[in-house]
Amino acid sequence: MPRKPRAPGATRARETKGGFIQTTVEVEGRTETRIVELPAFDPAPWGDDAALGIVGARVPRVDAAEKMTGRARYTADIARPGMLHAVVLRSTIARGTIRSFDAARALAMPGVFAVLGPGDAPKKMRLFAREISCFAQPVAAVCAVSTEVACRAANAITVEYDAAPFVLTVPQATAPNAPKVRSAGNTPATSPTLMARGDVDAGLAAADVVLRREYRTPVALHTALEPHGAAAEWDGDRLTIWESTQGIFRVREMMAKALEIPHSRVRVIKEYMGGGFGAKNGAGAHTFVAALFARQLGRAVRCLNDREAEQTDSGNRPATTQRVTLGAKKDGTLTAIHLSADVPLGVSGWEGGPGQFYHDMYACPNVRTEETFAYVNTSGMQAFRGPGYVEGAFGLESAMNALAKELNLDPIALRRKNFAARDPRKDRPYTSNKLLECYSEGATAFGWTPANRQPMADSRQPMADNRQSTAANRLRRGRGMAAQVWPTGGGPPAYALVRLNPDASVEVLSGTQDLGTGARTVLAQIAAEALGAKLDDVRAIIGDTQTLPYTGNSWGSMTTPSVGPAVRMAAEDAQRQLFEAAATMLHTTPDTLEARDSRIVVRDTDRSMTFAEVTKELGDVMIIGKGSRGPNPQDTAIMTFGAQFAEVEVDIATGIVRVLRIVAVHDGGRIINPLLAESQLEGGIIQGLGYALFEERVLDGRLGRPMNANMHDYKIPTMADIPEIHAFFVAGSDYAANHTGARGIAEPPIIPTAPAIAAAVADAIGAELHEIPLTPWRVLEALEAHR
Amino acid sequence: MRLTVNGRSHEVSQEDSSTLLDLLRDGLSLTGTKLVCDRGECGACTVLLDGESVYSCLTLAAACDGSSVTTVEGLAAPGANGALAPLQRAFITHDAAQCGFCTPGQLVAAHALLARTPHPSDAEIREGMSGNLCRCGTYPKIFSAIRAVAAGEFASSGSDAA
Repeated sequence: MPRKPRAPGATRARETKGGFIQTTVEVEGRTETRIVELPAFDPAPWGDDAALGIVGARVPRVDAAEKMTGRARYTADIARPGMLHAVVLRSTIARGTIRSFDAARALAMPGVFAVLGPGDAPKKMRLFAREISCFAQPVAAVCAVSTEVACRAANAITVEYDAAPFVLTVPQATAPNAPKVRSAGNTPATSPTLMARGDVDAGLAAADVVLRREYRTPVALHTALEPHGAAAEWDGDRLTIWESTQGIFRVREMMAKALEIPHSRVRVIKEYMGGGFGAKNGAGAHTFVAALFARQLGRAVRCLNDREAEQTDSGNRPATTQRVTLGAKKDGTLTAIHLSADVPLGVSGWEGGPGQFYHDMYACPNVRTEETFAYVNTSGMQAFRGPGYVEGAFGLESAMNALAKELNLDPIALRRKNFAARDPRKDRPYTSNKLLECYSEGATAFGWTPANRQPMADSRQPMADNRQSTAANRLRRGRGMAAQVWPTGGGPPAYALVRLNPDASVEVLSGTQDLGTGARTVLAQIAAEALGAKLDDVRAIIGDTQTLPYTGNSWGSMTTPSVGPAVRMAAEDAQRQLFEAAATMLHTTPDTLEARDSRIVVRDTDRSMTFAEVTKELGDVMIIGKGSRGPNPQDTAIMTFGAQFAEVEVDIATGIVRVLRIVAVHDGGRIINPLLAESQLEGGIIQGLGYALFEERVLDGRLGRPMNANMHDYKIPTMADIPEIHAFFVAGSDYAANHTGARGIAEPPIIPTAPAIAAAVADAIGAELHEIPLTPWRVLEALEAHR
Repeated sequence: MRLTVNGRSHEVSQEDSSTLLDLLRDGLSLTGTKLVCDRGECGACTVLLDGESVYSCLTLAAACDGSSVTTVEGLAAPGANGALAPLQRAFITHDAAQCGFCTPGQLVAAHALLARTPHPSDAEIREGMSGNLCRCGTYPKIFSAIRAVAAGEFASSGSDAA
């Protein structure tokens, strides 16, 4: 079969034997074994010097105009004929039992269609239980003609509870005779989670310096602007769900299982979504409620979280307590890393703890982590951008900065000394690792010099060029840095089709999601590049389980490295067919053809045809290319690395911290769209800034109830908080990871932000900070303790 | 009651408790304006009411009788593919939207800011836009887009209907 000509610098595509193999895929540090197909052919890797025009270009988002005009349709905007509205009534206690439930008044109200209460949902949904195990647990739902009527009716339901003692912390949950959060026990079967390499005791004995610290991180809330929500509509025994989700196929799977109907009878659609950040990875109470009411009433039903529910019971980043011990030689060589951590998960969740970061970041031969996870009577955790690694980076990177100070070493020199040239957790090579370049390029961009780390007179002015401090003598400047590592290989399975219409417009079909990340744009760029089409001619169609081939959830920074290669292969398959058709029309052979800007030329001649001329000739004979994601290289680590630098100003009278500037350098392999990738870096940094300075779910310890479940008291950054940000990538392609050379970059920028800011604050005030967020109160306490 | 929305006159009946946001989204199917916090904390529901930016989630519909409202749908020239306003084009060029859910409010707030202060200082942009939250963290891009419009960079074509 003739192959397309290759870009300069690329090797030829490999024909594979096809068939299926067993392979492993790593998602957010977890390793999953899968049996996957070997693609029929493997496009030649786009190497460092591949001549690419559309991939790598700073082109605007392909769906930007929809977002600018209000035309982009989000789940909250779905309106179906005759649609009804459902709301969820939630518990007002943290633990106990429902003694009585009376919805008669609600049902009698005009406009109310139905109520679902305790015992009314299918068992598999585990919804509306009589046993309450956290505040805001769904107790009932009301369906009415409008949300307002449904809310009024929900308020008219009388629920009486027998409240019982509850636990909120790991020590409480693991105490003898502690109240039971779950019938199977208060800790997951795998807790405490132990991971170790080498001999930490021997490493500590061999150390010149031993540093011990305890760090605490808060519960943080995703606070996506669009709440969780779903609209459901049945057509006979077929269910259609519009859901704001990071995983349409996972929602399909969960709904088919919960309703005990075939997958083929559930269609999940997601057009646009207003952010996810890890909290929207499956179906939730709102989805079940919408589907149940819609089936019962024969009408479309929409169920959206209100903001209080969104900030109370829709996922969170769990708090951690991290007791860190580092052992090091005088020259900075780490001899031991030890972590003992407590992580209260809420009533549900998975063991996404801080430990793995401690194993992944440095080349230390002796590392042991012991993480105690416990279920407690608060709403369950969910993955939140860089889960575990964000918390772990605050602990380990803060300890590394303290160690640097103790050893009188530059923080970068300490990190270089402990650079891991191989994946230290699994003792295997990386596909590519440019962390050292991140350190050096970041240090240059920031103006970080070991000899002079004091605030420099010529430091660039921040975006806040007009800070009019009347008390300049109270202001202290400081600088800090931190590093990150995050698994970002992506992997199979993922599928894509690329088809050409009679007018030569190109459609990429893939059942993936764009969370605001830019997936539509990136996939269109890859298809245009591989096919030789104009980007304007290419449109990515995503987000529909019925009409599009499978891809997995958009989590773990996986969409570009998972789906991108499948799209590239589909586009090359389409190009092969297009060339075969064109060769007939141009009286040549396909191997003499190449394509660019939607035009096919016979190499070294002036003969050419536009795509449109070929497809017009073909009429309704359709070219459809198929692509799939092949397996990752085995026994190889695929990680994204980075270093971030912060400069802050602290008012020592008020304790207020202002971040002046951030420099961020990451190594994400090939960057498909530097403009959009830069936006993601900035966004991750800004979320990290919120985590460092403002964000903390506050619980009332006597009631087990969140006290700041709104957007005023749970503070996320505003434009007034934003420092000057200079975020960029080191150049290069990770063509050993996959044939596009791209790894994921969505989660990495949030990981090192908080420890870099905390180090800068410590530098400014001369006192270490051990707990985030760095509220004025905590800064003043640190100053006081230091005095 | 009667009100004009994006240049078009409407005769509407609303419950006393309805907000302007309810009226726009549910009554007039103008779903570009978003509901996020429902209590004046985030700015996603920002619209122009007689030229002034307001949180439509805190504005009673009944208080808008005889008023003129501009939403995100009214920023571009009329029609399915109407010419975009300078701010919209600048937001696209500067990648000032990620998920896009806060974007309608950001655009309307930015429009009001520039109507009030055609040449804002950096501090005035930051203060003027600090009532509009964005969780994706597009603030640096929104900031540079507004600054570019204020500098006249996007004035060449398109119309600014509102």
